[in-house]
Amino acid sequence: EKMASKMSVVLRPVKSIVVRFCPFEPNVESTRKFLQCIYHKKIQATNTNCEVTADVRHDGSEPVVDVTFADGDRLIMKGANLTTGEMLSALESRCNAKDLKEEQKNKKKNP
Amino acid sequence: AVAAKMAALGGGGTGWLRAWLPALQLLRRGSKAVTRHWKAMHFQRQKLLAVTEYLPPRPAAPPRCLPRPATSGHEEDGYARVLRRQVEETLRSSRMVAVCQYNSMPDEDVVTLRHYLRKHNIHVKFVLNEVVRPVLAQSKYRNLLPLFVCRNILLVSPETRAREMLRVLKGVPQVNLLGACIDDTILSRQGVENFAQLPSLEVSQGQTVAALSLLPSQTSSLLQRGPTHLTALLDEHIRRLRGTGGATEPPPG
Repeated sequence: EKMASKMSVVLRPVKSIVVRFCPFEPNVESTRKFLQCIYHKKIQATNTNCEVTADVRHDGSEPVVDVTFADGDRLIMKGANLTTGEMLSALESRCNAKDLKEEQKNKKKNP
Repeated sequence: AVAAKMAALGGGGTGWLRAWLPALQLLRRGSKAVTRHWKAMHFQRQKLLAVTEYLPPRPAAPPRCLPRPATSGHEEDGYARVLRRQVEETLRSSRMVAVCQYNSMPDEDVVTLRHYLRKHNIHVKFVLNEVVRPVLAQSKYRNLLPLFVCRNILLVSPETRAREMLRVLKGVPQVNLLGACIDDTILSRQGVENFAQLPSLEVSQGQTVAALSLLPSQTSSLLQRGPTHLTALLDEHIRRLRGTGGATEPPPG
């Protein structure tokens, strides 16, 4: 919760997020925390069109976060050895970069 | 000073009038108390000053250099004990226990969810991991331990209405079903979905009974097939013989 309010992730350029994990494995804590942070009010408020899906399996697979951006890019983060903070900051940096690009494009279109 | 001493001594009684204390005589001669040259201290004064010398207190060692006191046995919080007892009670009295991950939901949604689940007699319980972990470790739900990380809620019910529960949970994306223990069987999410598609207990019992009794119901007809066939053949034979007029041979017994 504290992490989610400290990092303001702007989800505008994100189309969908799929979080896949197997809850009976021992390495899923950071991925679950990431999912919890994504559902925070502030972050959900930045983009209500973003579909967040949680895929709960039981096949011993690794926890994976699959982010699809509006311009077709995909960000795949394997959460087995990542902390929540790292995942959030990676997502935040990419979202900001895409946001900047879009703003520049809009500025060019409407001078 | 000498006069004052004489007066003090003199005032004590008649016996002191004549005698002179040696200390007084010594003081009479010689320099005064405050001199311009260095004057040796009276020995008694020297002793007194030596005894009452100022000794500065030694600074105590900073607490971080001292050995840490062994954490005196963790006093168990009374509140935690009460919560633990409540959890044990609920686990004992329910047939179905489902563990879900709770991501923050607006309050009205929580109330609506509780309402819908209560209709199917499913109770929603918010639990703290540190309270639940020791309870689970001792009970039969040992294998559900790895599920209890981050925020969780328990859906407990004395009946096993998995289908309704899944339907309600499908409409709430913020609550993710992780696993369940139904009738002493630990199931994953897939297992719960399969369980939900099973027919109810009474229906499946009826189906089993029907399947088992199918063969025995056919036994009697099977056994009777031979003799019935024979009787039919004989009847046909008699009819033909009667038809041709007069039975010459009796039918074989």
